[in-house]
Amino acid sequence: MTGAGAALKRWETLMFVLLVAIIALNSLDSRYFLSIGNFVNLFQLSIEKSIVALTMTLVIIGGEIDLSVASVMGLAACVAAWTFQHGAPMPLAVLLALAAGIVAGLNNAFWIAYVGLPSLAVTLAGLIGYRGVARIFLEDRAIGGFPEWFNQLGQQPIIGPLTASIVIFFILFVFFAVILHSSALGRMIYAIGSNVQAARYSGVRVGLIKTDLFVASAFVAALAGVLYAARLGSVRGDMAEGFELDIITAVLLGGVSIFGGKGNLAGVGLAILVILNLRNGMGLANITGNTQNYVIGGLLVFSVLAPNVWQDVRNTWRGREI
Amino acid sequence: MTLDKEHSPALDPGDVDDGKPILEIRGVAKRFDGTQALDDVSLALYPGEIHALLGENGAGKSTLIKIVTGVHQPDHGQILLAGELVTIRSAAEAQRLGVAAIYQEPLLFPDLNVAENIFISHQDRGSIVGWRRMFQEAEAILAELGVALDVRSPARGLTLAAQQSVEIAKAISMNVRVLIMDEPTASLSAHEVQQLFKLVKDLKRQGVAILFVSHRMEEVFEIADKITIFRDGRLVSTRRRAEATPQRAIADMVGREIDLLKARPTTARKDPILSVVDLGRQGVFEGVTFDLHRGEVLGFAGLIGAGRTDVGLALFGVEPATSGTIAVAGKPIVVRSPREGMKLGIAYVSEDRRQLGLILPMSIVANVTLPSLHRFLNRFGLIRTALERRTAESFRSRLAIRTPSVAVAVAKLSGGNQQKVLLSKWLNTNPSILILDEPTRGVDVGSKAEVHAIIAELASEGIGIIVISSDLPEVLALSDRVLVMREGRQMAILDRAEASQESVMTAAMGQRPADSASGRAL
Repeated sequence: MTGAGAALKRWETLMFVLLVAIIALNSLDSRYFLSIGNFVNLFQLSIEKSIVALTMTLVIIGGEIDLSVASVMGLAACVAAWTFQHGAPMPLAVLLALAAGIVAGLNNAFWIAYVGLPSLAVTLAGLIGYRGVARIFLEDRAIGGFPEWFNQLGQQPIIGPLTASIVIFFILFVFFAVILHSSALGRMIYAIGSNVQAARYSGVRVGLIKTDLFVASAFVAALAGVLYAARLGSVRGDMAEGFELDIITAVLLGGVSIFGGKGNLAGVGLAILVILNLRNGMGLANITGNTQNYVIGGLLVFSVLAPNVWQDVRNTWRGREI
Repeated sequence: MTLDKEHSPALDPGDVDDGKPILEIRGVAKRFDGTQALDDVSLALYPGEIHALLGENGAGKSTLIKIVTGVHQPDHGQILLAGELVTIRSAAEAQRLGVAAIYQEPLLFPDLNVAENIFISHQDRGSIVGWRRMFQEAEAILAELGVALDVRSPARGLTLAAQQSVEIAKAISMNVRVLIMDEPTASLSAHEVQQLFKLVKDLKRQGVAILFVSHRMEEVFEIADKITIFRDGRLVSTRRRAEATPQRAIADMVGREIDLLKARPTTARKDPILSVVDLGRQGVFEGVTFDLHRGEVLGFAGLIGAGRTDVGLALFGVEPATSGTIAVAGKPIVVRSPREGMKLGIAYVSEDRRQLGLILPMSIVANVTLPSLHRFLNRFGLIRTALERRTAESFRSRLAIRTPSVAVAVAKLSGGNQQKVLLSKWLNTNPSILILDEPTRGVDVGSKAEVHAIIAELASEGIGIIVISSDLPEVLALSDRVLVMREGRQMAILDRAEASQESVMTAAMGQRPADSASGRAL
């Protein structure tokens, strides 16, 4: 993939330069910024979104989208809290939450892979529907009082300064990077994302791969939802609402094409770090949340525009070359 | 880049007595990123003349067309229209000057009706659409062309041939003086080609100058008044048709003699690898019955829409058959998906290389191994990239794929090389039955000869091959037997001795030869 590969490498280089610049600026601004404690905190603050961004990367490279992830996070957390409150031991409650994620993923996959509906519509319905189910479980209550070990899962460092959530993120990052870039499944995800018809004519089991993608996406979202509940120590029906947009932003900023077939996990990893450091730096500089959103939005537009603008500029040069 | 003296222009465009040229190109040159796409090309086009351009892909024909239609600007040289020096900066400007182009794939708006498509470039007719007047004028133009089309129906659903007619009507509505036709026949059936040629001859009588680009030698020699050959960005020769021969033209195109259509020696053996009895798919085709033997090439001839591709899709499992039986090596089987087809040793090389055959943004390596990826995994289920690369390299040398590297995206390759990658991809599945659908469509003449040689070699290795092709001389040269279809039905299976242009066309047009194989009526 030389042509596309070279372009992506350029994109990652750009992200990396941006990241270094942001960190440098931030550390000039506040001496506290460069401390390991700050980095871990920073990472921890949105670790659940970062985890879900991993599977979202695979889904979008496969030419699909999953808008229901935040609602699945909420649903899973509510299932865990509700079953715990109704007498289930916490480990069982967690398993039921993960199972709920798998069911939601199978439901998405059925409509998308076998009925053939567009994932945008199906997962938008999921976004609304799963959130509705979560609210039915909890109504307006908040459930807390989980066992100590569960709360520590989200708050206590287990390896050095790293919490369980951060360790899980790194394990999943490596796992999905290997899947995407070194396995047959990963190759086929790129193939169906680039040209689903040609993939089908090549004997690729398109339905099965799409099922894998949506089940993995919902399962990881459910896991992230449980970790989020552990970190907060209590669960409400509106938990993680709106997270899907931040997650998709990180993936697109990472150089993944919204049309599928292009992108890689390293770029998404860099994009996550860029967003975190940018927000943190702006926070330390007392820039308000609204302005932060404005900057992130601008960055996203830039990320989509930049490759196209670059292409146009080159074409114009070529056309005028005499 | 030296110009072979032997092939120097046989006809000086200046010394012809056809009156004044309508379009004259003088010393035009164009360079892209270090490639000299056009080098000092001079050409004159006269009113009422059909002038064919021939050349391999990349010879410079497309660049010339793009310069004349204002897409590119020449680095050097002049363009004269009716004796006046002009600068053509855009396609719209070319149209104003009376230069129009139509392409292999018509560029119509599917949801607009025929009349709207014809007048799409007329933005000078006021801001309110005068429907009645527009329909009347559109009908008048089509009637003049002798084409029967409902001007109120949307362009979606028109046959390719009808779409070409609309494109021509569009050009006429703009008072075209020079009409450029870039491979207009590549997707048409033989019958449709004849209809198109009738239109072209009418335009010629009206004094339109026509620049005609095609890879099909017979067509060029049927219709062109003059034939110009390009090679490596240079104009090699311009000859009147009477002074040209196909052999000479090919020699000029490739710079060497190619024996293009010598019949392949037969390698068919006794044992059938594929037996098909009364195969059908509801509403698409029916009653297809044949045996394919090891080492045999069975040609599928017929007009476009005769159902040949549908039979191929049914055998491969893309659109499974609904009636009849299929047996592979004597064992009855059912194919419901391409995956099942592949497992039975069937490979189907699609006619639509860009949409259904290859994944263009992916590398040659990734394309070649996609259907057989399971053979390239290590014990952890990860892809053995070195083995993958070696395999792609071996196909690169075996099929002479011209590319700087096997890591290049297939989108960057020429049509002929893409076709070879597509063939490699399916050969890599080690098929015992290979279905080739239009294996040389959009492929230049040099690569075409290479593809034919590959087909002959594969047959001699014992693979049973079905060649679906609208290029009749190709079918006749390659096939041991020819199965002819018409409107979803099998009309005849002709042995090599009985198969000729005449006998195949007779069957394809519905006149059944006495010894036809299948005789069921609808």
